[in-house]
Amino acid sequence: MNALLAELDTLLLYLFAVGAAGGSVLMIVLRAPMHVATALISTMVFLGGIYGLLGVHFIAAFQVLIYVGAVMVFMVYVIMLLEVRAVARSPFSRLLLPGAAIGALLMMLLALLLWHGGRSAAALPGSDQIFTVEAFARIFLSEYWLHFELTSLLLLAAAVAAIAVIKAPHPGEDHHG
Amino acid sequence: MRLTLIALAPLAGFLLNGLLGQRLGKTFVSVVGCALPLAAFALTLAAVVELESRGAPIVEVVYTWAVIGGVEFEIAFYFDRLTAVMALVVTGVGSLIHIYSTGYMHEDRSYARYFAYLNLFLFFMLVLVLGRSLLVKFVGWEGVGLASYLLIGFWFQDEDKAAAGKKAFIVNRIGDAGFLLGMFLLYTLTGTLDVDRINAAFAEPTPQMLALASTAGVLLFIGACGKSAQIPLHVWLPDAMAGPTPVSALIHAATMVTAGVYLVARLSGLYDSAPAASAVVAGVGVATALLAATIAVVQTDIKKVLAYSTVSQLGLMFVAAGVGAYAVAIFHVVTHAFFKACLFLGAGSVIHALSGEQDVRKMGGLARRIPITFVTFAVATAAIAGIPPLAGFYSKDAILWYSFASSAGGSTVLWALASATALLTSFYMFRLLWLTFFGRSRMSAEVEHHVHESPLSMTGVLAPLALLSAIGGFIAVPQFLGAQWPLPAILEARAPFYWPLIGLAVAIGFGGLALAAFFYAGDGARAARVQERFGALHRLLSAKYYVDEFYERTLHQPLLWLSDRVFLGLGDRRLLDGSLDGLAAFAVRVAGQLGRIQTGNLQLYLLLAMIGLVGALAWGLRHV
Amino acid sequence: MDRLQLLLLLSFAMFTLGMVGLAIRRDLLVVLMCLELALNGVLLSLVVFAQQADIAAGAVLVFLVFVVAAAEIAIAIPIVLLMVRHKRTLDVGAFSDLRG
Repeated sequence: MNALLAELDTLLLYLFAVGAAGGSVLMIVLRAPMHVATALISTMVFLGGIYGLLGVHFIAAFQVLIYVGAVMVFMVYVIMLLEVRAVARSPFSRLLLPGAAIGALLMMLLALLLWHGGRSAAALPGSDQIFTVEAFARIFLSEYWLHFELTSLLLLAAAVAAIAVIKAPHPGEDHHG
Repeated sequence: MRLTLIALAPLAGFLLNGLLGQRLGKTFVSVVGCALPLAAFALTLAAVVELESRGAPIVEVVYTWAVIGGVEFEIAFYFDRLTAVMALVVTGVGSLIHIYSTGYMHEDRSYARYFAYLNLFLFFMLVLVLGRSLLVKFVGWEGVGLASYLLIGFWFQDEDKAAAGKKAFIVNRIGDAGFLLGMFLLYTLTGTLDVDRINAAFAEPTPQMLALASTAGVLLFIGACGKSAQIPLHVWLPDAMAGPTPVSALIHAATMVTAGVYLVARLSGLYDSAPAASAVVAGVGVATALLAATIAVVQTDIKKVLAYSTVSQLGLMFVAAGVGAYAVAIFHVVTHAFFKACLFLGAGSVIHALSGEQDVRKMGGLARRIPITFVTFAVATAAIAGIPPLAGFYSKDAILWYSFASSAGGSTVLWALASATALLTSFYMFRLLWLTFFGRSRMSAEVEHHVHESPLSMTGVLAPLALLSAIGGFIAVPQFLGAQWPLPAILEARAPFYWPLIGLAVAIGFGGLALAAFFYAGDGARAARVQERFGALHRLLSAKYYVDEFYERTLHQPLLWLSDRVFLGLGDRRLLDGSLDGLAAFAVRVAGQLGRIQTGNLQLYLLLAMIGLVGALAWGLRHV
Repeated sequence: MDRLQLLLLLSFAMFTLGMVGLAIRRDLLVVLMCLELALNGVLLSLVVFAQQADIAAGAVLVFLVFVVAAAEIAIAIPIVLLMVRHKRTLDVGAFSDLRG
């Protein structure tokens, strides 16, 4: 039974990996920003699945919650707000060819590094070795409590900054205090 | 120490007058400027006394200049009879001219500078005369050239006068190249630059020395040509008349220009062993003498006549040196110093009396107005014309005799040309005397009104010089020098011509006088008619045989073109400036190209960053 | 190819694709999303290594990165909105005021 589950795990991993890769490729190929957003969302969800298969279930949950639920939703709002229409021009900038070439080069180099680079022999945990929320919370609030506080500070700063940016006076408008 | 002091006295005068003269006033300058040359004269006399009592030349080593590869080059002074004669002339006549200058230059603004330069000249001339090695002599040689330049262009605010100074210096320089080459050759041949040692070496010459002796002699003679204004380097002397008249008297009559003759006489040992060089010396000398005399016949500026006369007389001195009669050449140097200085200073007195007029066509009838000047000028004129028993007769007659009868190069042709020169000399000098002092006055009324005799400082010098011109012939210079510089043997066949030739010389002297009186007495109508008849010849002579124009066309213009087009245009502008500008332009272009990266486009920047990342990774892979 | 290699390869691919997309896409919003993709790729590799090394701090770090990403997008979007309002276009090429 366990062997079968292990096989399923590997199969699912490959599936999710292919899915994530496909989503990424689609992202940079599709024309309309809305389609691109959708591709990204799918990539992120697949990524969440991969996290789950690695045993960090709550990280997977956070991925979907924060990234998809907050970040991508915000992006979709903005896309719709700005009423982007499909443009007749090419969606690619002048640097398409050089960019693609460099990208390919980079990918090859990284793959080479992967094959020839040294790394530790430790094994990856499977989906059954779960890193519980309890353990995480314990660490987060005892050893890394400072970081916890700092995150709240960061979020406060972000909120304030966002408001300030929106309220900043821009040319052609009256300045209301 | 005494010899060094002789040279240093005028140097002190230069420093004092040059640095302090302007501030301390004319009296100070006059006293310092005249006292120190007189001191040098006194010291020279004392040195002569010591020389005679010692019986051998005095050598004074001042200090060792350089030691190169084991060979020592010293600064040393050497005093034998030849040096004594030259030094006495330089300091004696020099002092007299200094005293004359206090009167002549009295009104000049740059009084102190004048005396400073004059003392500087005296210093360098003494270094030239007293120096033992050719190297030290060369220092003096160059120095007198420098002083000559400074003094010719003394009134440098005038472009032409400054240009005359430049011309003198540059032409001198060309001669100096010959001097240097000759010096190098002599050093290679004899291993020393000391003149006494060189002469001793040539007393017993090796075959190699004999083979190259003439080359060295000719090279040194080129230097002498530059300094003594012989063809083809004679062009600077007439232009040098742009300087103050006492300068012309001192430098371009009595002392500096005779340095060339002194050089040849000094190295008599060399020239005795180099018959080819001696022939060149005599040939060039007689050609110059004749040429200059023909030009002097038509000159209208009083100083220019005297300038060409100097060139001519120097030629005669070289004739004597070229036939081995060195003592006779020096004898003529001495007598020439007396009467030429007297003539030049007399001309200065005339110019002073006429408030600056130098054109003889605007003179006349001055004999009674300025008697002292007239008498001294007349005595000196008679001396140069060779009227016995004045000084010029003795020295010039000796030259003519040896040019005919010397066993070391005397020939009839030489004698004939030299005699023709003597005739012309007598003629143009008496012409000058007549045009200046006799006949009806051709002066402008303004000038005539102000004619006055010169002050005592000037006439007081003219008198002794005239006296010396008269009795100077009795100073037995050739005999004085005879021990070391024996006169050449006389050709057997020519000995009987001695007295006939003397008679001929006297006839020439009086003949010139008669001719001048014939043409220029009265209103000079005869002279004017001859001038018209031979118009083309007159033009040729007035234009000095177009030598200056020839040099201008063949040397000056090409050099100017070369400097302007090649060195300035190509070398300086294109090469140097071009390369620098090119570098700068290149830098600007490269910067411009590099600046195209900053397009402000974020995506481009990102791409460049990725390229860098790829590069870093690729490099990191090598070490995996 | 074992799981580690696969996941790392995926992470590299996502990162590269994100960078390339940043460079080649013309729409400003798409550029932002490509940026998020790249970040996600890096995050994946972080998770992989953290799990491999079995240290708890890895998970904490991942969480912190989430928070920072959220804050970052909260600021970035308003800035984009302002820029678009200024230039009235979403074309990245239009924003080249820093030329030279």
